[in-house]
Amino acid sequence: MSLPRQIGSVWFWLTAALVGLLSLFLLYPLVNMLASSFASAGGRGGSGWGIFLSDPRYLTALGNTVLLGLLVTLGAALIGVPLAYFAARYNFPGKTLIAVLPLTTLVVPEVIAAQTWLMMFGNNGLITRSLGDVGIAIPSFYGWFGLTTVMTFIYYTYVYIGTLAAIRGFDVQLEEAAQGLGTSPNTARWKVLVPVVMPAVLASCLLVFTLVVGNFAVATILGGRVALLSVITYQAFVSEMGSDPVMQSTLASVSIGLVAAVLFLQRWIVSRGRYEITMGRGAKPQRLKGLSALLLALAASIVVIISLLPLFTVIAGAFTRARGPVMRWGEWTTLNMERVFLNAPDPIINTLIFAGIATLISVVVSTLASYLIVKKRTVLTPALDYIASLPLALSGTVLGIGLVMSFNTGWLTLTGTAMIIVIAYVIRRLPFGIRNASSTLYNVPNSIEEASISLGVPPVQSFFKVVLPIMVPSIAAAAILVWTTTVSELSASIVVYSGGKETMPIQIFRLIDSNLMAQASAYGLVLVVTILLPIIIATTIFKIDVFASR
Amino acid sequence: MVAVTIDKLAVSYGGARVIDNLSLMIESGSFFTLLGPSGCGKTTLLRTLAGFLDVADGRLLLGERDLTRMPAHQRDIGMVFQDYALFPDKTVFDNVAYGLRARKLSETAIKPRVGEYLERVGLSGFPDRRPAELSGGQRQRVALARALVIQPQLMLMDEPLSNLDAKLRVQVRETIADLQREAGITTVFVTHDQEEALALSDRIGLMKQGKLEQVGTPEDIYRTPVSAYVADFVGAANTVAIRLAGPLAAGDGQAVPFGGALVSARVPKPIGTGNAVLIVRPEDVMLDLPSPTAIAAVVASKQYLGGTTHYAVTLSDGTRLSVALHGPGHSAHAVGATVSLALDAAKVLVVES
Ligand SMILES: Nc1ncnc2c1ncn2[C@@H]1O[C@H](COP(=O)(O)OP(=O)(O)OP(=O)(O)O)[C@@H](O)[C@H]1O
Ligand SMILES: [Mg+2]
Repeated sequence: MSLPRQIGSVWFWLTAALVGLLSLFLLYPLVNMLASSFASAGGRGGSGWGIFLSDPRYLTALGNTVLLGLLVTLGAALIGVPLAYFAARYNFPGKTLIAVLPLTTLVVPEVIAAQTWLMMFGNNGLITRSLGDVGIAIPSFYGWFGLTTVMTFIYYTYVYIGTLAAIRGFDVQLEEAAQGLGTSPNTARWKVLVPVVMPAVLASCLLVFTLVVGNFAVATILGGRVALLSVITYQAFVSEMGSDPVMQSTLASVSIGLVAAVLFLQRWIVSRGRYEITMGRGAKPQRLKGLSALLLALAASIVVIISLLPLFTVIAGAFTRARGPVMRWGEWTTLNMERVFLNAPDPIINTLIFAGIATLISVVVSTLASYLIVKKRTVLTPALDYIASLPLALSGTVLGIGLVMSFNTGWLTLTGTAMIIVIAYVIRRLPFGIRNASSTLYNVPNSIEEASISLGVPPVQSFFKVVLPIMVPSIAAAAILVWTTTVSELSASIVVYSGGKETMPIQIFRLIDSNLMAQASAYGLVLVVTILLPIIIATTIFKIDVFASR
Repeated sequence: MVAVTIDKLAVSYGGARVIDNLSLMIESGSFFTLLGPSGCGKTTLLRTLAGFLDVADGRLLLGERDLTRMPAHQRDIGMVFQDYALFPDKTVFDNVAYGLRARKLSETAIKPRVGEYLERVGLSGFPDRRPAELSGGQRQRVALARALVIQPQLMLMDEPLSNLDAKLRVQVRETIADLQREAGITTVFVTHDQEEALALSDRIGLMKQGKLEQVGTPEDIYRTPVSAYVADFVGAANTVAIRLAGPLAAGDGQAVPFGGALVSARVPKPIGTGNAVLIVRPEDVMLDLPSPTAIAAVVASKQYLGGTTHYAVTLSDGTRLSVALHGPGHSAHAVGATVSLALDAAKVLVVES
C-alpha cells in the first residue's frame, strides 16, 4: 500500500496505538534506566559504571552469575539430552511417566520449587535432619550446591523438550543410509544425528542460560553468601528506593546486556540450524528388554520423582502441623489451610484478579499485535515487531525496576497501584503471546479475509467474523499458558507491588523468608491448584491442546 | 452495454510497476478470460478490480460506478479464489449464506436461495458439512456458489481450476460455463491454460508483461494472432522469420518469400521492409496436394496419433515446420521421403517481428 493509503487505514492507527503504548510502558522505562546508569551517583562519585568496575563485589556477582549459568546449563543438558534421546528411541517400562515432565516446570512455580527443596535439604530440612540423626552430615544447601541442584532440576525440561522435538523431526532414513555406507551404528549416529540435533540442543541450552541469569526466586532464597546479579540488583533497588537509582540501573543494564548477547547467539544458531533439520518420519521407538531396560527405567523414574518432589512436598507441608519454623512431620492438620482461607485470603484474591485482568489484556493485545504484524504490514510494523520482542531480554527484576523508576512520580504515577502489577505481567508475557498467535496466523491464508471482504463485509468486521473464529482454539491455549505463568510470576511483581497488593508468590516468598514453611506450603498448594485447574478443565472438557503451541 | 471499463490503468508493488497503461472494456454479461504466462500480471489485474490492490494511475468503472478508490467491500464483486478460501469453521450452508447475511437478508429469504445455488452446483446433499469434509472439486463448487449467490455485478475467478485434476477440471469448467450463461453475470476469468480460455470465453485478453498484447474472440486470437508471441501462446504454431524486400500493405493474397519460393499470405496490418514473421498452424500445412506453389521438403520425423499424424519436415533452406495431417491417408508419408508442401493461403499470416 502506498503511504497515504496506509495512513488512511485503521490498521495503521492500531499499529501506531500499540507502538505508542509499548513505547510508554516498555521502551521509556528501558531508556530511562539505561540513562540513569550513566548519571553520577550522589555522594559516591562517578557514574554507576565507574562504581561497577571499581567495586569487586559487583564484578564477583557478574562472574558468579555467568558461572552459575554455565553450571546449570551443563547440568540441564546432561539430564535433558539423554532423557530425550532415550524417550524418542526406546520403549521401556514406565516410559509414559516421562510424558508428564514438561508439565512440571509449568505447574510448579520456581518459588515453590526453591521452598520445597529447602524443606527437604535446608538446615531444618526433613532429609538433612534424618541423615543427621544417623550421623551423616550433608553440605549446606545454601550457596552453589543448592543453586545448581534446584535450577538444574527446574530447567532441564527446556532442554528435554527442545531436544525431543528435534530428534522426532529427524528422518531416521538419514541415519540408516549412513549405516548402509558401512559405518558402524554408533559412528553413524554421531556423524548424522549430532549435527542435525545440535542446533536445537544449543538453542535450548542458551535459553536455559538466560533464564538462570534472570532467575530471582531460587537465587534469592538459596543464594546464601554467593552474590548473584539478580539478587544484588534487587538489593540495590530496595536500598536505593527513595534516593537516586543509579546502581540498580547499572546492574539491570549489565543483565540486559548479558541476556541480549546470549539471545543473539541463540537466534543465530536457530537461523543456521533451521534448514538442516529435515522433517520426516520419526524413528519408531525400539523395545528394550532385560538389564538395560531396567537401568533406563530406574534412571528415568529418579528424574521423574525428583521433578515431582516439590509437588508432593507442598501438599504434605500444607497439611503438616508446624510450630514456628519447625515442621512436625507426621502430625496432620488442616489448620494451615484454614488460616489461608479464613484469616488471610487477600493474596489469593489479589492473584486471581491481577492475573485474570492481565490474561485478558495479554490475549487481546497479543492477538491484535500478531494480526497487525503478520497480516497488516505498514511502515510502523517493524517498530512494533522489535519493541514487542524486547521483553525477552529483560528479566522480571529489571522490568520491574524500570517501571518503578519511570512511574514513581509525574503525570502518570502508577507506583502503589494494582495497575503497575498488571502492566508488568502483560509485558512479560507479550513476546510469547505474539509468537503463539503468529504461528496460527501464518497458517490462515489471506484469501479467507479477502473472500469475506469481497462478499461485502468491511475489513475490521471480516477479521472478527472469519479470522478470529479460526484463531479461537489457539487463543484459548495461549490464555491458559499466560494464566499459569502469570499467577506464579514473582520477580517483577515483587519489585513493583506495594503493601496490600501481595500476590500468592509474593506471600510465599515472604513466608519462606520468615521460615514459615507450613504456611508457605498452604499458599503453595492453592497456587498449584490455581494453575492446574484451568489446564485440566481445558484439556478434558474443551479438548484444547494446551502444549501444542509451547 | 459495457460492464467494465479499465482506462489507462497502472498498478505497482512498491516501486515496481507491474501493470502499465492498460485499457480494456468488457461487455456486460460476457465471459472474458485473461490469458498469459506466469508473472505477466493477471492476478494483479484481477485483485485490482476486486479492490485488494491500489490503483496507481488510471480509472476503473463498473457500469457507471467509479471503482477506482472504492473500498473492496462496497464493490459488489464476487470472487473465486485459486485456493477456494472457504471459511474452515463454517458449514457449506453458512459459507454460501455468508454474503447474503452481510447484505442483511432475512433467514427465511436466505434459506431457499442458498438451497437453490447449492443445487445448481450439484451440492444440495451436504449443507451441514465443513470444508474439510469435502473433495477438492466439491470445495471449488461451494466457492462458486458462495460467489454467485450474491448475484454480483461482476464475477472474478483466479485460476479456479488449477488445483483440480484433469478430469475434474473439465467437469467444473462446464459447470462454470453453464452457470455463467444462465445467470448472465459478467465474468473475468484468469488462466494460463489456453485450452480453458478457448473453450470458455466470449473474448480473450492475452497479456504480456503487464500489457494486453491482443484482445479478441477465441477465433480472432487463434486465427489472427497479432504477433508471434500470441500465436505461440495459443495453440501450436510455426513461426518463421522472413525478410521482406519491400513494404507490404494490409490485405489478403499478398506474395511473401518463403522456403525459396513465393507464397500467398494474409497481412492484417501493413509492414515495412525488412524482418517479418510468417505464422502458420501445423494443420494448415498440406503435403503432396496438387498446388501451383508447392515447395519441396523432406520428412524428418513422424508421430502417429490415431486420428492425426504429426510430422516435422525440413525445407531446402533448412527451415523446419511442424505439420499435422488428418483425413484419408494422413499417415502415408514415411520418414526420409521427399514431399511437396503447400500452405493454406487463407490461413497463412505475416506480421511484424
Ligand atoms: N506482493 C508482491 N510484491 C511485489 N511484486 C509482486 C507481488 N505480487 C506479484 N508481484 C510481481 O508482479 C508480477 C505479476 O504478478 P502476478 O501475480 O500478477 O502474475 P500472474 O500473471 O498472476 O502469474 P501466475 O500465472 O504465476 O499466477 C510478477 O512479476 C510478480 O513477481
Ligand atoms: Mg496469478
